[in-house]
Amino acid sequence: MTGEFLLELLCEEIPANALPSIREQLTENFASELAGAGYQGFTVRVASTMRRIVVHAAGLPAMQPDREEEVFGPPVRAAFSNDGSPTPAALGFAKGLGVSVDSLRVAQGPKGEVVAATKQMPGRPTPEVLGEICERIIPELHVPKAMRWGSGEHTFVRPVHKIVALFGEGAFTEKVPVSLFGVGSNCSTVGHRVTSPGRIDVRGVKGFAAYEHLLAEAGVVLDPEERRRTIEGCAGSLAAEVGCEVRPDPALLAEMAELVECPGLLRGEIAGRFLDLPDEVLVTTLRHHQKCLVLVRDGAVAPYFLAVCDRPDDPEGHVRRGNEWVAGARLADAAFFFSQDRKKPFASRREALAKVMFHQKVGTFAQKSKAVEALAGSLAEAAELGLAPELIAHACSLLKLDLTTSMVGEFPELQGVIGGIYARLGGEPEEVWHAVADQYVPVGLEGALPRGPLAAIVGVADRLDTLAGMFGAGEIPSGSKDPFALRRAALAVVRIAAEAPLRCDLQEATHRALLLRKDTVTGEMDAAVAALLDFLEERVRYYLTTAAGVKPEVADAVLAARWGVVPDDVARARALEAVRGEEVFGSLAVAFKRVRNMVSKSGEGRFMGQLLREPAEKELLAAVSRAEKEVQRTVERGDHEMGLRALAGLAAPLDTFFTDVLVICEDKDLRAARLALLGRVEKVFLRLADVSRLSAP
Amino acid sequence: MDLQSLILTLSRYWGEQGCVVQQPYDLEVGAGTMHPETFLRVLGPEPYRVAYVQPSRRPADARFGENPFRFGKHFQMQVILKPAPENVQELFLASLAALGVEPAVHDVRFEEDNWESPTLGAWGVGWQVLLDGVEITQFTYFQQAGGLDLQPISAELTYGLERIAMFLQRKNSGFEMEWGGGLTYGQVRHQDEVELSRYAFDVADVDMLRRQFEDWEREAGRCLEQEEPLVIPALEAALKMSHLFNLLDARGAIAVTERVALIGRVRKIAQRCARAYIAQRERLSFPLLHRQDNEAQKGNAAPRNRGNAGNGRAATPHGGSGGRKRGGSSRSKRDEGEPGSRS
Repeated sequence: MTGEFLLELLCEEIPANALPSIREQLTENFASELAGAGYQGFTVRVASTMRRIVVHAAGLPAMQPDREEEVFGPPVRAAFSNDGSPTPAALGFAKGLGVSVDSLRVAQGPKGEVVAATKQMPGRPTPEVLGEICERIIPELHVPKAMRWGSGEHTFVRPVHKIVALFGEGAFTEKVPVSLFGVGSNCSTVGHRVTSPGRIDVRGVKGFAAYEHLLAEAGVVLDPEERRRTIEGCAGSLAAEVGCEVRPDPALLAEMAELVECPGLLRGEIAGRFLDLPDEVLVTTLRHHQKCLVLVRDGAVAPYFLAVCDRPDDPEGHVRRGNEWVAGARLADAAFFFSQDRKKPFASRREALAKVMFHQKVGTFAQKSKAVEALAGSLAEAAELGLAPELIAHACSLLKLDLTTSMVGEFPELQGVIGGIYARLGGEPEEVWHAVADQYVPVGLEGALPRGPLAAIVGVADRLDTLAGMFGAGEIPSGSKDPFALRRAALAVVRIAAEAPLRCDLQEATHRALLLRKDTVTGEMDAAVAALLDFLEERVRYYLTTAAGVKPEVADAVLAARWGVVPDDVARARALEAVRGEEVFGSLAVAFKRVRNMVSKSGEGRFMGQLLREPAEKELLAAVSRAEKEVQRTVERGDHEMGLRALAGLAAPLDTFFTDVLVICEDKDLRAARLALLGRVEKVFLRLADVSRLSAP
Repeated sequence: MDLQSLILTLSRYWGEQGCVVQQPYDLEVGAGTMHPETFLRVLGPEPYRVAYVQPSRRPADARFGENPFRFGKHFQMQVILKPAPENVQELFLASLAALGVEPAVHDVRFEEDNWESPTLGAWGVGWQVLLDGVEITQFTYFQQAGGLDLQPISAELTYGLERIAMFLQRKNSGFEMEWGGGLTYGQVRHQDEVELSRYAFDVADVDMLRRQFEDWEREAGRCLEQEEPLVIPALEAALKMSHLFNLLDARGAIAVTERVALIGRVRKIAQRCARAYIAQRERLSFPLLHRQDNEAQKGNAAPRNRGNAGNGRAATPHGGSGGRKRGGSSRSKRDEGEPGSRS
């Protein structure tokens, strides 16, 4: 029969965002410590509420299994004298381990041959081992923000008040000695702070399920997933009662489950007048500021919300009234700011923008709007979107105006969205207010794109200008330091260009963006351009290997050829990913590598086809000419797979060429002609991909 | 419960927990934390317990008395418990019970909310306490003040008095909330809010404010450079700088770029004050440490008992209105006073 172990840390309220990671770390670290201590076939489960962290391990024998460990000693040379007798070093080593000198073996240590012995490690009582594991791993848990308390000697996520640590077979009969944060282990805990604050004796409780049951009776649901399900179920029925649905919000549901020991949910009502506020404002106020689920009916926000509480009921209605009162207060606040903002026309805020600083080294938002306008104009032209320049200019002039509104002052996370609402209410055409509203989307690889080509162009131009301004001013992200979220901005540029799609060259756009910011470039312009190009190329690579799902070497091959028109970069990468498995591409990679080596070492030379005389080189010439024409056609059609197959047709002629022809020959002109032929080969490949980057299959 | 009964009840309650019931600091400050009874007392090893109301000035939050929830000046009830006792959460919950909030029928939650004051070089970790979803108190374990690591750790409880009074009275506007003496908060304070808003947003003389900022910075330096540094006068100068900064900010006179630098200048003085204060207390051999030796048992045992007693008997009357406030508060005084079995 095996035993089980229970650890409960009773703490002050632990932040919701710390708990999932604490559970993961503990599960992993506890299991690996047990395995390291020689245990097998055990299970580890970690549960938590905001007030307690609980570890349960089952399948543990009362005694730790005996173990053997190979211990390395002194080098063989030092351990035995010439006649083979053991030196004092060997004798000391054996004695230290309690083994006889005769049992020493020779083993290969990290630095040569050494003597080794097998050390017998008899198992110790499991509770002792468990106590030590707890004391080792719990103080090492990584938490987002640790604190000190009381006398200030200990550091943990929140103060720890009680520790229950018990072991037993069939029942938790034996106290496990654990001392953490100045608190010694004991046998009792407490229930829910308000509904069941009394002492709960855990010693003698018959197993984990019984313990969980005891806690449940004391108002504590230990399993976060169970709490989440309870809240989710309540939400569904509370919504159905008033003919609504819950606005889906899995992240908030999970967070709610971390905020309570006793999951309760209540429905509050919102005064009808607040429904005049834009839905985005209602949702933000209720969700972000009050952590409430929002109900919807027929696609619009309904006058209800669901708030979590740490109790099963609301006997006198206080909890509902309190939540309604504060939601009403928040919404009244929002309504006040909203009406303040609406007192003057949105477009009349332009002057105020001159006073809002974008970045001290780069300038104001008024200046930024101008730069974005110029950049967006040229991007739209390059992408051949047929957008009227006046329309672009108008959208850009409205873009940042919401930064001067009280609503954005109050709800910074709604910047853009608020501008979009005011532009819409101000009677702007849909594509214009979409451009304003969607300027900060997408945030990552998921989520919707800006709506419409104008919004796409403006979104790209705004971020490219930000990147140019920052790189010009030397604010370049390094390592984990990216205070202006420039990586995210660059990724959004790439994703919009890829998926909108925008057929403009990001390399050209980068030059243009930095030129527009030339007055604030602090160092060398060329260096800034080069740094930003590298940075963008990195984001394209990231996009290719994640969103487009190609292998890193495929992304390398495609980007090494050229990059910038992102939809084309993606298409080439996908094509190469599709065909690279075909056998011919293995040998093609090797052959092309030789081509690139020769061309890079010797230069291209001048192409004089008439000098070529060997059959192999004539054949290659003919093959290159054919490939050039074919690739031209496939590029025009965007059929890169076909283009790559055309290149594959060069594999055989290249092989023959390298076998039969000596490129670096005595005759200078002939050598130049042959190198030039290889130069043409290189060029036609690089229209699609540098296949020399592919590893041979 | 009206505002003044709220203040009286909390003052009495915390007084019974062994706090010095202090008075507001007589300078314009942004928060109760800036009162030397918090900012200086949390430094060094000496134990301390204090409670006081602090009118707190936030010129940028002023709304001409038009927004029912925003005030350019509001009242905080500030409590410092140093070191934070193990039952600090229970003590806090008992203070709610003293206000007539029975946990058994309410929802009280502690949700993470950390606090930082770049001006004071101070930060802490803690929660906002939500009563039925309403944030009523900021609960912070101070980790650093004046750039110095703290040991022992103090607990700071900051009750938002307007918020709590509005909540208890179920008022939808702060200005309609009953203050006491038969008057509403609006009747007592509305005109202040209108005028302070006009001053902060439209009238304050930016050049004068800047000049004074510089002057007080120099003055703080002079105080700290005395052979025996003058800690309180230097800190007062820093507090004035902080308020001047807030006024400049509300006036829209601080460029984003300048902001960090100005805050840094105040912080520098606050940090020097903190170091000078500790040196000063050390020269005095931390006198309150010795007091602790003498009264340790008394001081520790008493509050605990009372916390529980208060909890049990907290059914203070509320809902009395208008002119009866005095009666109400003396009644509650008697109620809370009775456990006087404190000896």
